[in-house]
Formats: sequence, structure tokens, C-alpha cells
Amino acid sequence: MKLDPAIRDQVLATVPSLRAFAISLSGNADRADDLVQETLLRALAHIDSFEPGTNMPAWLFTILRNLFRSEYRKRRREVEDAEGRYAEMLKSNPEQPGRVEFAEFRAALAKLPPDQREALILVGASGFSYEDAASICGCAVGTIKSRVNRARTRLADLLSIDSVDDFGPDRATRAVLAGGGRS
Amino acid sequence: MTSRKTVSTEPAAANGEAPDARDAMGRPIASRKTEVRLGREVQARIGQQLRAMYDEVVKEGVPPHIAELVRRLNEQDDG
Repeated sequence: MKLDPAIRDQVLATVPSLRAFAISLSGNADRADDLVQETLLRALAHIDSFEPGTNMPAWLFTILRNLFRSEYRKRRREVEDAEGRYAEMLKSNPEQPGRVEFAEFRAALAKLPPDQREALILVGASGFSYEDAASICGCAVGTIKSRVNRARTRLADLLSIDSVDDFGPDRATRAVLAGGGRS
Repeated sequence: MTSRKTVSTEPAAANGEAPDARDAMGRPIASRKTEVRLGREVQARIGQQLRAMYDEVVKEGVPPHIAELVRRLNEQDDG
């Protein structure tokens, strides 16, 4: 297939953000790389279904998101504690970008239900509108808004950010979050 | 402090902070002000960390093996 160079450039321009989405979503650099490659394979194989002039990032993110979710459902059948396993992967991957500065944040993010995690990332980091995020996730705009709000509230709890301002860090909680509470 | 930067996705931004503003229940906003401010600050910091984590990956650009993959797919003969 020969791509229209403009389309190819749009795809390439989306790759950096697509990778960041995949890593934030899966918490695992290797898996994220597989997701990105699989997304590009599918996207380019079905490039005719992309309407030029529409939102390329939203189109690619939708493909990646659906791949991730179908994998997640599969894995969930295999593993009882899918989220525990997700948290486990975070810790066992030494290649994780930014693992030092963001370890605590990633650990908290990993504890969010996938619905809330993806909504928060799309709106809060990828910069999609609520409308685009809703279309990527195949749900209503109001659903995205409430997921984002719940994600933020939960993250604030997990990171006990409010207690930092008022009482100084809650050391026990922060240590548990940072170290996983195991030795 | 840079974390005070207003986030575009901040839903509370619409409330405004006019001194005589009232909430949906008719109570003066001022009575909830500390709570609201704290909430905003926390949310701003979460937003900031999330974007910093994300942008760190974005800054890496397109890895060579991905650029190569796109190039190969593009040149593939589908005959």
C-alpha cells in the first residue's frame, strides 16, 4: 500500500503521543511497544476507512484503546487479580521510563479501574476534549466526565496529596505507595 | 508556585471565585473556599504529574524501529 504522504506524516506525528498513551495505559514499556506496533499494522491495513480531514490522533487512539481492552479482557479471564498483576508488572520492569520520579504516581495510577485510568489519561494528559475521549472510549460524554472526576478523587486519596499541604507527608502511606509495602 | 496554573480540564474553574458567589445550595462560596482551593491545588498537582509522566515519553519522539515499520508497511507491494 502506498500511503498519501500527508496521511503518513499524520500517522508519524501521532506516534509519540500514542506511545505515551500505551505506556500510561499498560504500565509496561514492552507491552506498550507491541500495542503501538499492532495499532500501526491495523491502521495502515485499514487506512481507507480513515476519512481524510478527520481527527487522526483520535482514530489511532481508538484502535490502540480497543486492542488494549480486548487484551485486558482476555488476560482477566486468565488471571483473577488482573489489577494486582498490572501493579506487579510496573515494579518488575526496569525499563520503565521515568521510573524514579514517577514511580509513586504510576503505582497510584495502576490502582485505578481501567475505565477511569483511560479517561483520565485521554483528557488530562493526551489533551483530548471530553467529546473526543467519549468517542475513543465508545461512551457518553457525561460518563467520561464522571470517570475523570472519580479518577482524580481516587488519585488524590492514594497519593494523600492533601495531607502533604496540611500535615506534612503521611510517611507510612507514601512509603507503602512507593515501595509496594513489601520487602 | 507553578502548580497553581489552571488546568483546562479543571471543572471547578467554571465556579468562579467572586466574593458574593453562591453554590448550588445558596450557601456563600466563601464558606467552602478553603476546601475548594485545596481541591484545586490537589487537582492541579495531579494534572501536572500526569502530564510530566506522559510528556517524558512524548519527548522521545518516534523510535527508529517504529519509523522503520511505517516505512516498510508503506513500501509493501500489495500485489
